[in-house]
Amino acid sequence: MELTDADLIARVLVDDDQHAFGELVRRHQSSVRGLLRQLTRGDVQLADDLAQDAFVRAYKNIRTFRGEAKFSTWLYRIAYNCFREEARKRKELVGINEEQWQAEQDPQTIDPGLRHDLMHALSLLPLHERSAVLLCCQNGLSHDEASRVLGIPLGTVKTNVLRGREKLKKTLAAWAN
Amino acid sequence: MEIQDDWLDRKLQEAVPYIEDDGFTARVLRMLPQPVRRTEFLRSFILVAMSAFASALTYVLSDGGRFILVEMFRLTTIPTLWVVVFALASGMLVMAGGIFAAMYRVHQI
Repeated sequence: MELTDADLIARVLVDDDQHAFGELVRRHQSSVRGLLRQLTRGDVQLADDLAQDAFVRAYKNIRTFRGEAKFSTWLYRIAYNCFREEARKRKELVGINEEQWQAEQDPQTIDPGLRHDLMHALSLLPLHERSAVLLCCQNGLSHDEASRVLGIPLGTVKTNVLRGREKLKKTLAAWAN
Repeated sequence: MEIQDDWLDRKLQEAVPYIEDDGFTARVLRMLPQPVRRTEFLRSFILVAMSAFASALTYVLSDGGRFILVEMFRLTTIPTLWVVVFALASGMLVMAGGIFAAMYRVHQI
């Protein structure tokens, strides 16, 4: 029987079991790295560095995880904080590296042209709308969970998702048919 | 035709497929701090060993712990009132410590 996240966390807490933490990383690395790649507008190297930092921070602070939210939500919050700190350090967000980004994607799942337009439209959104759309629409978090991750009020999250969606719809209107 | 929310969400999800691990987990594990349990065990061991050594040394240097018997005898001669006062003071001190610890813990939570 596969261990749940809660079982693995308990092993890390009780036995300082780094193999259990490794399993948690394996389970969540894709979504965390994916989110950070989108937030950094396709800078794969920076996103992976931030993801590593986020997981190391998660390990060091795992005793503060109380299980009130899902482990993935807690991880997203740490990853988002890492991203915000890096963005503040650089004063400006990293540029779009679309070529590398496109090369990383699986060409079987979505029309390459649509993906290109979608990613470009996403990268044009302001950070607060992009973050809310990525968390709620792409990663399936509820508005409440996204509010915890982003550290902003629930109503603001809803507004940001709504506005972000509307902008994406306008930009992608040509793909409607 | 207007784009629907669920279509947009589906395309957003499809646009970011599963990212293969490719050694990412191994890199994270290499960056983790070493478990501290060994050093904690060593610290406990040193404390216990030093306490045992100090006790043994005291026993030997005090003529087989003779001073303990002397002090015990002196304790039996203390007036009852002093014993009661001492017991009350000790109890209150321990209780204050307990309350302080509980308040500190609640504040931490």
